[in-house]
Parts: sequence; structure tokens; C-alpha cells
Amino acid sequence: MPNSLTFTLVITGAPWTSQAPQTALTFATAALSAGHSIDRVFLYGDGVHLASSLSTPPSDEAHWPQQWSVFLKKHDIPATACIASALRRGLIDKTEQARYELPAENLLAPFEIAGLGEWVEGSQAADRTIYFHGN
Amino acid sequence: MSTLIVIDQAPYGFWTGREALDMAFSLAAFDQPAAMLFTGAGVNWLRKGQRPDGVGQKSAEKNLSAAPLFGIEALIADEHACQQYGLTESTMLPGVELVSNIRDVLGDHKHVVFAG
Repeated sequence: MPNSLTFTLVITGAPWTSQAPQTALTFATAALSAGHSIDRVFLYGDGVHLASSLSTPPSDEAHWPQQWSVFLKKHDIPATACIASALRRGLIDKTEQARYELPAENLLAPFEIAGLGEWVEGSQAADRTIYFHGN
Repeated sequence: MSTLIVIDQAPYGFWTGREALDMAFSLAAFDQPAAMLFTGAGVNWLRKGQRPDGVGQKSAEKNLSAAPLFGIEALIADEHACQQYGLTESTMLPGVELVSNIRDVLGDHKHVVFAG
């Protein structure tokens, strides 16, 4: 087994509903510090709420979408929200806003929206795929 | 690389099972070997004669019946859970493989994904 591993992280728990996004961020930070790498992050199910640019927690609470956004940009890690999960839950990028003629878009950069193929690819590319569930 | 998708909650109460099913279908669509294991209350996904119209949902049974057609390699059920929920060969979808030791099934797969 190589000393340095590549991880794909799948987050299915929503922020402010579950601890999943926070635990995943702590894991990701620790993995990078230990010399491992993150291939990509995939948001699935309720996890897509992490990519909302409209989340506005009280100012004395941690802002998990922003913390994740900063982390992803800093380390240049691609992150995708599953399109089927996202559309159902009202997480929309410019393309989907135009396609469905919706009144707004709310996808936080650098998150992108794509299909489950991203998850399949990520699971193949990584040495380990770790799931962060909400329950 | 073989992936086992595990469902341990009854259908219709939560969306996680349905999304786990999508994961299995997606693996099959990308020609990746995938199987599904139903355990605990999750075995109720395999029950014949589901009528989810009353709760405004699409039939899980219909989705699962199509699984072999879409290339999902196996539908596996925990025999003990089937007994617990009164599922027999005549009340279950055809083609389900019953296992008595799910630990072996988990060990047979490189990737195991629990429905979130």
C-alpha cells in the first residue's frame, strides 16, 4: 500500500442538519496535512445544500459552505453537486436556471453541478472513497 | 472493482434509499460491476405488490424489477431480515439471492456504499 493515498469524499448530510460537512472538512484538512491528496468532493442527496450561496447562518456561527469554498479554492480541489439531487432541492447553476427558466441561481463557487458519473469516476480514481452521511 | 450498495431502511419513508438505487443504476450505466444488498427493514424494497400511489411516490418495486435489465449484477437479501418481515419467495420479487451471512457479502466487494 502506498504511503500517500488519494481520497474521494462523498458528503450526503446537509449542514445545520447534520455534522457531515464539518467532519468531512476536518478529515480533508487532516488528510492533506498528512501528505495525502483529495481527488474530488462529491455532494449527494441532502449534501448538496453545502453548495448553496444563499445560506446565511447567524454571524456568530460557523459558515460551512464558505469554509468549504475557501478550502476547495485554496487547494484547487474540484467539487461537484449531483445534478438530480441538486435540482430536486433547489440548488441551481446558471445553465440549469436557463434550461428550466427559473428565477434565480444559487450555486456557490467553486462547486459545479454534474451527474453521478463524477462519483463513479472519483471512486475509480481514488485509493479510498469516504462517505460522510447525515444519519 | 465491484461495488455493493447497501439499503437498510424501508422504502418511501426516506429519500436516501431511492438515491442509493440511482447510484447502483449509475454504476451499471458506466459498465461498472454493481450489486445491491437489502438488510434490516430495507428488505421491504423487495416486496411484491407495492402500491405507493397513496403516498404520491413512484414504485420502488418497478425500479428494482428493472435492475437486471440495466446491468445490476445481483439483488441480495439478508435471509434473517426477510424472515423477520415475513418475506417469502412468493411475496418477494423474483431473482433475489438470499444470504445468511452478510459479513461474507460485504467482504466480497471492494467498495461498500451504505445509503446515506
